[in-house]
Amino acid sequence: MSNRVSHQEIVRKLLETKSIDFNAIGKTVAEIGPSVSLADEPWDMFCGTMRTFLRLYILNPGTPGGGVENLGGLRNVAEELER
Amino acid sequence: MNTSRARWDTRDLVRRLCHALVVARQVVDQLAPDGYADSEQPSNNLRPEKAISETALLLLAAESAAGQHPEVRAHVERVAQRLIPYARSERIKLALCMEPALALDYAHAHICLARLGYPDQDFDALLRQSVQSQAFTGRERPPHRMLEQLWSTDLWSGLDVSRRRSTSAVARLSQLNLPMDLLNGHREDIYAFTHALLYCSRFNLHPLQLPRPRRLILAEAEGALARCLDDQDYDLAGELLLAWPLTGKSWSPAAAFGFRVLAQVEDAAGFLPAPITRLDRVHRLQGLERLNYLLATSYHTVYVMGLLCAAALLPGRAPPVDISTEDAVRGTASRILNRLDASCPDMHWRNELDKMDHLQQDAIAGLLLDIAMHRAVRQRDFAGLHTLLQVGCASNLVDSPVASQVAEMLGRVAACHRARPVLSAGMEPVAPACEKSAASGSRH
Repeated sequence: MSNRVSHQEIVRKLLETKSIDFNAIGKTVAEIGPSVSLADEPWDMFCGTMRTFLRLYILNPGTPGGGVENLGGLRNVAEELER
Repeated sequence: MNTSRARWDTRDLVRRLCHALVVARQVVDQLAPDGYADSEQPSNNLRPEKAISETALLLLAAESAAGQHPEVRAHVERVAQRLIPYARSERIKLALCMEPALALDYAHAHICLARLGYPDQDFDALLRQSVQSQAFTGRERPPHRMLEQLWSTDLWSGLDVSRRRSTSAVARLSQLNLPMDLLNGHREDIYAFTHALLYCSRFNLHPLQLPRPRRLILAEAEGALARCLDDQDYDLAGELLLAWPLTGKSWSPAAAFGFRVLAQVEDAAGFLPAPITRLDRVHRLQGLERLNYLLATSYHTVYVMGLLCAAALLPGRAPPVDISTEDAVRGTASRILNRLDASCPDMHWRNELDKMDHLQQDAIAGLLLDIAMHRAVRQRDFAGLHTLLQVGCASNLVDSPVASQVAEMLGRVAACHRARPVLSAGMEPVAPACEKSAASGSRH
């Protein structure tokens, strides 16, 4: 007998119970996100079953800020690094 | 044909290295005590140990050039004196007591300083206790981090034949001995490569034998360099350029061009910048807050330029003044530039390219092809990649890891396109994900 489970079915049932308060999750993420993003290890949220159905990933930010700033503008502040 | 063997002006390399050391003094004064905390942009946060350790590494690299350049030595000594209290602070000593698995990481600055002629026997005794504890081996590390630990151990306790053998075995497991994913790899993957190279070459202080032939390692570095120059990611570009002076005397035309780009950007900005330094933040801040923001977001790239110049000051390792045109094939660059200029003309590397004559541009046509392929991969432009490979084939430019990885990828995409699912009656066909991406024009 197969012991595979239907993850989709479990997720659907879980969602139908409306036991997950997505507004509350959003609020929590907003509160703790900045500090969690600095954690050494990935962090996930466990939602009431033996499976993790809601997982919050730290996304690779890639190159932040959209590239190097204008070089002339940087030149104006460069001397401050050397004082 | 340009076959000039003239090397980059030593005085200019010294000037750039000294600039990094001047910034290092500020880093020690401002960031070594408590690091940096940025409530608005937490990814800018900086632990003091990182700034301390990286400053010590810069000093160690600069020391290799200091012998012949008194001004470098003066800067090294001045920064070292300021760094000592932080490298051997109560905070670091407590960390040695409590986290032996990270002992060599915390003690890295101490080890470098001892090597520079600033020993501390009491600190050594505590470090010895820490590395002899059971918990010392309690952290599993990837190969490049293992190489770092082994280098620190060699620096601290001297060379050991059996450890050297095991270090070479670790080097064979590292990214230095394995092809990188040049098309879709992450920045961390490139760091694994550059750091493994750093810890194998050891700034020419008893370097290890490279696990692969130099030309293969440099071919990979060049493929990654193309992407970093086009991303204007000078932090990684600088680390990749270290591959040339740390492993030998010759610089490829692409590497020599890369160095010129970084030097030009440094001259224009006053320091080699990183994308995380945002001028709007700088202008909103005042006083120490402003200085610490500037230092915390820019010091690493400044240090990389310092490391690069220190390596270039090793005997015979300076980049050439001129791009060698020995192997240039006339007209190849313009064929690729037509495509590149259409997508993004205003890059720093493009400004530097404009200063070169056509034959010099042809000499780095392989790099330009790599840049064009990186862009096409990012846009999932499979038809464009196919065309670029054809252009490369016609110009004899495809003997590169980027070109061969593109060819492999197109082969996989073609196989994915052909492998349609077997459908049961009445079911809607579901296109494979890659087919949807390729729908815009793959010829395969």
